[in-house]
Amino acid sequence: MKSSRTLREVYGRYWYKFSKNDLSIVGLACIAGVVLIALLAQWISPYPASAGLYVNFGNAGAAPSASHIFGTDQNGRDILSRVFFGFRYSLMLVAVVLSVTVAPGVVLGLVAGYYVNRWFSAVIMRLADIFVAVPPLLLALSVASVLTPSAINAMLAVSLAWWPWYTRLVYSSASSIRNEDFVRAAELVGASRWHIMFKEILPNNLGSVLTKVTLDCGWVILIGASLSFVGLGAQAPTPDLGTMIAEGSAYLPGQWWISIFPALAIVVVILGFNLLGDGINDMFASGVA
Amino acid sequence: MDVRRFQKRKAIGRSVIATAVVVILVVVGVGAYYVFVPGQGAGTQTTTPTSTQSTSGAAGTLSLTFANVPNADPAKGSDEASSAALANLYDSLVFPTSSGTIQKDLATSWTVSSDGLTYTFTIRSGVTFHNSDALTASDVVYSLNRFISVGQGYSYLFSPYVSTVSAPNSNTVVIQLKKTFGPFLSALVRLYVVDQKLVSSHYNSTAPNNDYGSTWLLTNDAGSGPYQMSSANLESNMVIKAYSNYWNGTQPYQPQTVNMIGSSDSSTVHALFTSGQIQITDQWQPYSNVLALSQLKEAKLVTIPTVNEFYLMIDTTKAPTDDIYVRQAMSYAFNYSSVINNIFPGSKPSAGPVPTALPGHNPSIPASSQNLALAQQAIQKSKYYGKLTNYPVTYWWVTQVPSEQKMALEFASDMQKIGVTVNVVGQPWLTVVANLAAESTSPNVVSITDGASYFEAGSVLQSRYTTPSEGTWEQNEWLHNSTLDNMIFSALSTLDQTQRFQQYNTIQQQIYNQYPTVYAFDVYEARAYYPTVVNWYAANGHPIVLLGYDFYFRDFQFYPSQLTALFG
Amino acid sequence: MKSWTFAVKRLAYSGVSLLGLSILIFVIARVLPGDPARLALGPRAPQSVVEALRLQLHLNDPVYTQYFYWLRGIFTGDWGIALFTQRNVLIDVSDFLPATIELILFAAIIDLVIAVPLGLAAGRRANSIVDNGVRVLSYVGIAVPSFVVAILLQLFLGYGTHLFPLIGRISQNVVPPTQITGLYTLDALLTGNPGAFADSVWHLILPAFALALGPIAQEARIMRSSVVENLDKDFTLSEVSHGLPERTITFKYLMKPSLIPTITIYALDISAQIANAFLIETIFIWPGFSKYGLNAMLSKDLNAIVAVVMVAGVMFVIANILVDLVVGYLDPRIRLQRRTEE
Repeated sequence: MKSSRTLREVYGRYWYKFSKNDLSIVGLACIAGVVLIALLAQWISPYPASAGLYVNFGNAGAAPSASHIFGTDQNGRDILSRVFFGFRYSLMLVAVVLSVTVAPGVVLGLVAGYYVNRWFSAVIMRLADIFVAVPPLLLALSVASVLTPSAINAMLAVSLAWWPWYTRLVYSSASSIRNEDFVRAAELVGASRWHIMFKEILPNNLGSVLTKVTLDCGWVILIGASLSFVGLGAQAPTPDLGTMIAEGSAYLPGQWWISIFPALAIVVVILGFNLLGDGINDMFASGVA
Repeated sequence: MDVRRFQKRKAIGRSVIATAVVVILVVVGVGAYYVFVPGQGAGTQTTTPTSTQSTSGAAGTLSLTFANVPNADPAKGSDEASSAALANLYDSLVFPTSSGTIQKDLATSWTVSSDGLTYTFTIRSGVTFHNSDALTASDVVYSLNRFISVGQGYSYLFSPYVSTVSAPNSNTVVIQLKKTFGPFLSALVRLYVVDQKLVSSHYNSTAPNNDYGSTWLLTNDAGSGPYQMSSANLESNMVIKAYSNYWNGTQPYQPQTVNMIGSSDSSTVHALFTSGQIQITDQWQPYSNVLALSQLKEAKLVTIPTVNEFYLMIDTTKAPTDDIYVRQAMSYAFNYSSVINNIFPGSKPSAGPVPTALPGHNPSIPASSQNLALAQQAIQKSKYYGKLTNYPVTYWWVTQVPSEQKMALEFASDMQKIGVTVNVVGQPWLTVVANLAAESTSPNVVSITDGASYFEAGSVLQSRYTTPSEGTWEQNEWLHNSTLDNMIFSALSTLDQTQRFQQYNTIQQQIYNQYPTVYAFDVYEARAYYPTVVNWYAANGHPIVLLGYDFYFRDFQFYPSQLTALFG
Repeated sequence: MKSWTFAVKRLAYSGVSLLGLSILIFVIARVLPGDPARLALGPRAPQSVVEALRLQLHLNDPVYTQYFYWLRGIFTGDWGIALFTQRNVLIDVSDFLPATIELILFAAIIDLVIAVPLGLAAGRRANSIVDNGVRVLSYVGIAVPSFVVAILLQLFLGYGTHLFPLIGRISQNVVPPTQITGLYTLDALLTGNPGAFADSVWHLILPAFALALGPIAQEARIMRSSVVENLDKDFTLSEVSHGLPERTITFKYLMKPSLIPTITIYALDISAQIANAFLIETIFIWPGFSKYGLNAMLSKDLNAIVAVVMVAGVMFVIANILVDLVVGYLDPRIRLQRRTEE
């Protein structure tokens, strides 16, 4: 009983810190809403067919109305439905990119940080340096451009530009933590290296990694949208917010709704993740309890 | 704790305001400078020489957009923008007319030997290049040799045929052919004459392949045409200006400068046209945009015929499109009228591999139309029937043309009805070109518009369906059909036009029976323009349908005062 | 450890990274389908010409030999032929880079001029209207993609009000200034050409602002939080209680320490702009290096892609080293820390 109470207290304190700022709650609400919409897109979209292989040129470019709240696009598809499904792609991009980059990035950073004086530490870090020698967007663009444009390749390209940032983040703190007394102590009592790395050092980095993950969600979506904007993202008819903005911009300003609503949608997602990230940052920040 | 009070004081507020004021002043200052001193800000810096500008009463710049910045090397450029630039910067021996024939240009007369192998041209005297060098027969000889050596652009029209070219005297050129080439004179519209002295002084000897002055010619011209290059920025635009000593004289209202902008980005084009900064839109705009633009004050929509056809080129070697029944089913399942009515309004149905407007088209080939019953019959005969889901069809469209995506989706949803899965992929134009270079990297289907380089069906048949054209963007069919090759080349070498056209007819029927292509439609370019500002022959029913020749600016009448009246 | 030895060490590390980057990009570029010689000469070129070019470009050699030739070419000025322009990539880069540098510099100036006062004002009065305004702006700046900002600016300010030109670097009727640096504004000043100067500044405003909005938001935010932090520091409190003039406190004692984190992020943001400029230049038809780079990428122009990535890498790395030096100069603690670390 006692331990669960303390656990609740701990969570309570985190939640207090998080919810101190109203904006964090707004961020959480945005993202929760977006996730919910993405999951339920099939059922809550007014025209789920619009997300698939569907054209209705007779109804192309219709202005927002009661039947099409966001209007229809250049192919006569319902934009609201496509935005709903577009959230799916955005979230999928985030999920895939971060799940394939965070874990390896963190592990490499831990290993390099813990074995800071060994040769492979230098190799890992120099390798990471190669990938951060150009801005992530540029690296992602150049990788994506040499591959056939598709959702998978866009994810691959963004991932390739992403992992080293986690390696560097964890490395810098791990390499200093490894000299702290508690690590020395664990080494003295003969704890295994894996234990030290994952049970002693890693938990001390969890806060900063988690904060970076949430803040990165917005960045990943932004970079993914930039790739899509130049035609290197998911292919038609897959609804993808970046592609929708790019294609819709051909019909500006007359049929502004084709690009502006997807743009608003992407702003909501990125904003949500940023507010959420700030909240999580507050949560792990030391100081006022 | 005094910090709260400290924060209430005003110093920061003042500094913000001060900064803001400075910024605003700078912005307003610059703006005002331009409002009150339009163009004068640069003082003496107007681009056109004052001599041409003051006399004509037609000062000002005609601006229009193209898909790309022209490549103005006569031996390299072959797309629309390049062809347009070349037609203006350079002269050729003969010139195309709006009635589909050719007329004298640099050549004042010519004779053809009875075996059809020797052509003798008399070259116009008194023609000067833009740097005042006299144009002589040896320049023509040099240009043809350079063309064939560089081996790019339109040179494929000549390289298989030309044996030798010589200049027995300064105004005679003799071209000796290896084998007969019926439409040779028509093809000569693409031979642009460069100044030998000028070009050969700009060879780049350090270039890895022999450069023949190509690098220099990208941003300079060595021609004698009615326009000369003023400036070229390979990332944005090319500006050409009227050549005052043009041998055929200048026209009173021809535009003094023309700005050829290399961007067909829709929102940019929309904004530029709406504000009068361009006066003619490019052909790549979505129809709904052109329609919207044409409803602006004093603007108008035109659909200009071309000798181009929109092809869905089907790879005949890859599963499942290697099966003739799959291709036949595709041809019947495609909703042509939806494409023509909804996506490319103004265009006309195609009838087989040759655009219907082109001399030599076979009139007995039926116009493309949808027939789902026949499509079902065909697909059931296919060896892939019942396992078509295992063989998805890859379909590429060119991302520079947003409307192509609509056609791709139309195609994909039509094919769904006959059980064919289509994966639509948008690819930039140059990626398409690169991947069509090899059979292994080319897609099942690619949508490309292509047309005649000269006024005959043979032009299209050669560039689209012969084995030597495999690996170019003009063929994704990979026919490898030597019988067909022989038929096409023998037709091209037939001197008698009637016989040649009969052979063209047989060839077209033969190709049609193989269903290598979905003949989507004959292209009519939809453009918006300002008829009071620019009087344009192509929009007035007299287009010169060969690629680029609708933009022979000397025959435009341009009224900058009307432009000022419209937009201030 | 002196700061110059630190710089040399950083430079050496960066050199290794860039070499690694070049191998990475080169290999990616070379494993692509398509014959670079055939692509360079066009589909209609005779096979014999193509073969000759393949030989000249060492395309028949193994990849590592090709890489060696490429590396040698980088230093001898032969960067390979770009497919799109048909010229030596080096000529292209030197042609197009100044336009991008000008755009980025201008964006950097706008960024600094707007973000620092905004952040200072917001930090000085936490939770005031200015502060909340800055907060809203910073979220807008972060959440609205720069290409959306660019499209909106072009639509409303360029197209809607005709206040600014829609595209390009300089007006049609204005002759670009005589080339000295390639930066129109600078060249115009150097050659005493106020017309061209004003015109090119006028063209710069929208694209530079579109590029700068994200960083402005970021920097204003950082500036604000470090001002808030420094306001609570003992030194500020004691200055206030000593009755020092507010202006002195703000500009002499508050601004400098608050600028350190801001400048760090600022410089990183600026050096990353070369990537953001890819989309902005395309939208504004800005004839720069980034547009060239995007064209190269979209057309799989291998020599150009490799060169673009490498040039961007070099600029990025140099900017990062400069940041370290400048921050070390501004903040003695970091200098000390570095000394003890080494």
